[in-house]
Amino acid sequence: MNVETLRFGTIEFEEDEVLLFPEGILGFEECKRYVVLQHGECSPFFWLQSLDRPEVAFLVADPAGFEPTYAPEMPPGVAQLLRLDENTPRLVYAILSIPHGKPKQMTANLAGPIVVNVAERLACQVVVEDGQWSTKHPVFVGSGGEEQSASAAA
Amino acid sequence: MLVLSRREHQSIMIGDDIEIVVLDIRGEQVRLGIRAPKDVTILRQEIYAQVQQQNVEATETRPEDVPG
Repeated sequence: MNVETLRFGTIEFEEDEVLLFPEGILGFEECKRYVVLQHGECSPFFWLQSLDRPEVAFLVADPAGFEPTYAPEMPPGVAQLLRLDENTPRLVYAILSIPHGKPKQMTANLAGPIVVNVAERLACQVVVEDGQWSTKHPVFVGSGGEEQSASAAA
Repeated sequence: MLVLSRREHQSIMIGDDIEIVVLDIRGEQVRLGIRAPKDVTILRQEIYAQVQQQNVEATETRPEDVPG
């Protein structure tokens, strides 16, 4: 199957690659079907591309890569929605934001991770309310601040 | 929006299995107790709004800014 996207032109996907978000993503509730595209060969970054709206795509990555202690508590209801039990293989993605032209200021939304039931191709955005994780968690510790002070000086 | 007045220790029911109790009122703060089935998610509204706002911001991210 083919779909038009804003960022990646026409992309090809198989029906069994589609990730279904029964409740959508907050603010994008009408977008229920996504595919995962790797940003580049061997890249740790992926794009969650909507199949419903060509301009909607989220940059995501496994938060374990930059925040090894990240293990948010799953609110009740998630297991049921995603048909997860204790042994179901799952993936967690954090949605990333990069201010234009400032890749070192990349932040991760650790208050709203994406949880995926890999086998069932079901996913949802979980809102974590333990106060520990922010929606703008710096990905590159230190470097973001340096760049900020550099641009402030200029 | 339905508007109800409640005093301390009074409650409201939402459906037949969710109860919200006004525990106490101190100045500008109201403490609420919530009884609900385990699979019902209860969160402060602000955190939802923050996550939603961040999602909108995230869609501005451009492929050419991604490292590597």
